[in-house]
Amino acid sequence: MHKDRILKLAKGFRGRAKNCIRIARERVEKALQYSYRDRRNKKRDMRSLWIQRINAGTRQHGVNYGNFMHGLMKENIQLNRKVLSELSMHEPYSFKALVDISRNAFPGNKNVVLPSKKEGISIVL
Amino acid sequence: MASVTLSLCSSLATHCRISPNQNPSTPTLSFSNNTNLTFLSLSSHNHSRSSSCSSHTFHFLPKSSESESAVLDSETQSPEIDSPEPEAAQIVETSSEQVPKREQVFAVVMVGSRQYIVFPGRFIYTQRLKDANVNDKIILNKVLLVGTRNSTYIGKPVVTNAAVHAVVEEQGLNPKVIVFKYKKKKNYRRNIGHRQPNTRIRITGITGYEDYPAVTLES
Repeated sequence: MHKDRILKLAKGFRGRAKNCIRIARERVEKALQYSYRDRRNKKRDMRSLWIQRINAGTRQHGVNYGNFMHGLMKENIQLNRKVLSELSMHEPYSFKALVDISRNAFPGNKNVVLPSKKEGISIVL
Repeated sequence: MASVTLSLCSSLATHCRISPNQNPSTPTLSFSNNTNLTFLSLSSHNHSRSSSCSSHTFHFLPKSSESESAVLDSETQSPEIDSPEPEAAQIVETSSEQVPKREQVFAVVMVGSRQYIVFPGRFIYTQRLKDANVNDKIILNKVLLVGTRNSTYIGKPVVTNAAVHAVVEEQGLNPKVIVFKYKKKKNYRRNIGHRQPNTRIRITGITGYEDYPAVTLES
């Protein structure tokens, strides 16, 4: 029955919205609308998360994200941001190789400040 | 626990690898500067922990990383499993020399217009490959990066002559998503369910990258 399906989707909702069908129906409809919208938003959010991670990884080596991606595009390296962010987290030496290739291809502006040599970075490298 | 899984593996197929030899060494491995593949060592350890032999019970744990949370979870799990292991591993260590060590290589491959980081022995879910039947051998040509223990082969855009060999395991469907469209005050409601077809592929090996110019670690 329709009611049972709605109450099954309403598990974990607050107050009467998980028990009473009239309230649950409204809340479940809203939840499904949100999930439709957020399936599209998730792609945007993940891409921005990957870009933040790549930015952090390249700034450790003194290159910012914009110059890094420009250098990769010049070298015709077609790795996408998801894979680049994973490499920056788990494969530091491969990522450093990529940053070096990008720096050779596009030196960029000289205003990027190298991070001060603290203990943490020397452990990574 | 390690001895139980070892006996399970001995009765199953050849590509079942478990290396409890790595257990006492991974706490030091994760902090050493010399390995190119910190993720590889941790994840292969985690993969052996989750009994890679029976892929039916542990679908989502060794799944190749498509979401960040899955990757981070597997990362945090393996250090906790390390601590009770050294006590149990002493009995198993003497018999573990005959178990071959997992090949330390990974690749970035492009399938179905999505890129995956791929390890031998693990499986990934890709878009449905139309003409592939179960237990077909497949070669994936578009290899964008290959990484081994000491060197990285970065393709521009593709590593030439590199091939990733895989076996089609299953042609299934993704879990159902409910597509619910609603416009308020206009009496418009559409409720549609959708299951996207997918294919599960198990990676058997990565070959053909040796002649490509590589970036090598000198240490």
